[in-house]
Amino acid sequence: MIKKMLGRHKAKMKLSLRICVHCGLCAESCFLYMTRGKKPEYMPSHKIINSIGKLYKKRGKVDTALLEEVKDIAWKKCVLCTRCYCPFGIDIPEMIALARRVCRSQNILPDFDKA
Amino acid sequence: MVKGKRKPLKQITAAIKKYKKVLNIGCGGCVSVCLAGGQKEVLALNTELNISFKFDKASTRCDGVTVERQCNMKFLVELDEIVEGYDCLLSMACGAGVQLLAERFPHLPVFPAINTVSIGVDRDIGVYEERCRACGECVIGFTGGICPVARCAKGLFNGPCGGVSNGKCETNSDISCAWVDIFNRLKVQDRLDEIIRIQQPMEWQNQKQRTTIQEPYEKRYYRK
Repeated sequence: MIKKMLGRHKAKMKLSLRICVHCGLCAESCFLYMTRGKKPEYMPSHKIINSIGKLYKKRGKVDTALLEEVKDIAWKKCVLCTRCYCPFGIDIPEMIALARRVCRSQNILPDFDKA
Repeated sequence: MVKGKRKPLKQITAAIKKYKKVLNIGCGGCVSVCLAGGQKEVLALNTELNISFKFDKASTRCDGVTVERQCNMKFLVELDEIVEGYDCLLSMACGAGVQLLAERFPHLPVFPAINTVSIGVDRDIGVYEERCRACGECVIGFTGGICPVARCAKGLFNGPCGGVSNGKCETNSDISCAWVDIFNRLKVQDRLDEIIRIQQPMEWQNQKQRTTIQEPYEKRYYRK
């Protein structure tokens, strides 16, 4: 299922991962990065590489532990405000949304009903 | 955040029973956080609906999908391929999300599955209190951080009405009077002089449709 989902967006994922030159410009447009002490894990490029990048590299053959890791990035480190800016035009929110969709397909979701 | 509450099952079934294939669309935004319209709630509602239709020997069947946010067209694009073949859409987003969904798919009937209740705060898991009515004219700076529009049943701007009794509202004795709370809070802060002057009647900007454009972007969107 994950393979199928990723397959539909393969070209876009590949292009996004390939054209990122780690310039860091996206970081300054991310309010979470700016307000969390500029920690690298909040950089949009870092979030993409460690979520979609890993899913792409493993071609969808992922275990629950990795999906939990992706969940953590896609929900806790990004609120999908869509404010991130990439000078190369990488659609960062779309990639994070895709990572969330993959998690959703496996029923790996944030628990809003837990204290 | 926006708070919502699911409509009664009967109301939902009555709206969609004449359609055969229904797509229930959840929203991963505010309604997901307030446990009204996220992926889990979509699954729960679909199970209830399908059992109910089976029980009534109706041919309606519901499928579900959850998008990240229904109030942003960007996240509705993924539905373009999915909605094909469905007779109607059921949305578990807030009123804004439902309307944007209907705008995206004007050829399909769209029904809301939740009632958008308020802009509120989280008191506990599943417990939310209204705090804002998006009136567009915030006065809480002068009222000790207590909103007279959302908290006062009559939305009074210049002190309590005659119905206040022992600090409680006349509409419900469990609800404390907003103006008594405002008085007490300002007294603690020694700012009572701020509610002595008469507040002008408000313009009720929320009575007409508003579009918000932040100041730095005004040049971009306003026509000269």
